[in-house]
Amino acid sequence: MNDALASGFTIAANSQISIALAISALLFVIGLVGFLCRRNMIIMFLCTELMFQGAALAMIAFSRMRMDVSGQVFVIFILTVAAAEAALALGLVVLLYRRRATLSSDAWSELGES
Amino acid sequence: MVPTFFYAACALAAVGLALLLMPSGQKFRVGASVFGLAGIAWILVLIVQSFATPSDEIPNLGIMILCAFISVAGAVRVITHHRPVFSALYFVLVVLSGAALYVLLCAEFVAFSLVIVYAGAILITYMFVLMLAQQSPADVGSADAIAYDRIAREPVGAVICGFVLIAVLGGSVFSVRESTAIASHDQARAVAQGWSDLALMPKLLLEQARRTDSTVTAVVARADGTMISPHANSTAIISVNRAGKDGTEDLVLAPSMLPDNTSRVGMALVNSFPVSLELAGIILLMAMLGAVVLAGRQTDLANDERRTIAGMGNLLDDLDANLDAKAKS
Repeated sequence: MNDALASGFTIAANSQISIALAISALLFVIGLVGFLCRRNMIIMFLCTELMFQGAALAMIAFSRMRMDVSGQVFVIFILTVAAAEAALALGLVVLLYRRRATLSSDAWSELGES
Repeated sequence: MVPTFFYAACALAAVGLALLLMPSGQKFRVGASVFGLAGIAWILVLIVQSFATPSDEIPNLGIMILCAFISVAGAVRVITHHRPVFSALYFVLVVLSGAALYVLLCAEFVAFSLVIVYAGAILITYMFVLMLAQQSPADVGSADAIAYDRIAREPVGAVICGFVLIAVLGGSVFSVRESTAIASHDQARAVAQGWSDLALMPKLLLEQARRTDSTVTAVVARADGTMISPHANSTAIISVNRAGKDGTEDLVLAPSMLPDNTSRVGMALVNSFPVSLELAGIILLMAMLGAVVLAGRQTDLANDERRTIAGMGNLLDDLDANLDAKAKS
């Protein structure tokens, strides 16, 4: 049963993939909770990165399950989008910080409808 | 029966996380951590119990569970720590243990690019911005962190929302548990894909042929026009020229000659997803331009602030006035 070892994948046990999926779900949910309840704008963006991590881990786990490298290629694209998002979002955060001299997202609550 | 236990485990972890997020929760920090860790451990035990097949041993299960605990605990610290800089450092921990998980899941190339891009580049950007924009606690006058970092907004509602989501997700995984099995046709397809990838990489193919038999001088196309024809037991047959001999001979490549993870990811990137690769380049270029525009606006703002302090008008108004004066003279 060493065939797949050579094609870049070792034989996986079911539970290995299931554990990876559980961690990816937990990371995503923790990132979501953090995004909802932290007030610091930078930490809110850090929490979106946590959610990216969860999604990427799920991609890797499914790539392992189907023994197909497409999932890994998708993770590379996720990394690209995350890098672009970090550059733009942090530029915006610095801009907002210069306006109000605070990182609290409550300072901008009048942008909402209520 | 299993989903009931799973929901209970989720609830336990949720209670722990909610207690950690409460503003007054500092007193029960240890208890809350124990609650949360117990919940996560219970979730993992349930998963291993119901998905493990007793016949074959699970490779690296211990390391995997260790990485799982480190990454989840690190993620919890990211959202509960009161100092943003420490949150970012704990995020590095999450990234590193995530990369270890990627290696265990046979994605070596992505694991290393994750460390380089996330821990090396993105987190440095975050640290920069944190230090640019951070109010030090001394400015605010409190010994601890600033209020908006200390007091979470609606922690209970957020935790309920999140863990309802994970209970639904996990419950659905438990109800279709056999679908995560690795099917043998997936394995066969992976091997066939590996050989056809290798056929598209002539240099690597020659290298592998030489590794099998050092007298090989060239790999030539087979009679049916293909470079590689798959054979029984995941091996493949190629036609080669040997040194000092005329004509072609057949050579059997062992499965260990299949291309490795990095070659296969690279091949999939340029062979299967070329347009997406170009789009990724365009996204990065646009992000760079956007960042330049945003940074330029910041310097404008700074100039205007300085001019206001010095009692002068806005830069653009002055420019207009200058232009008008020039037009008149």
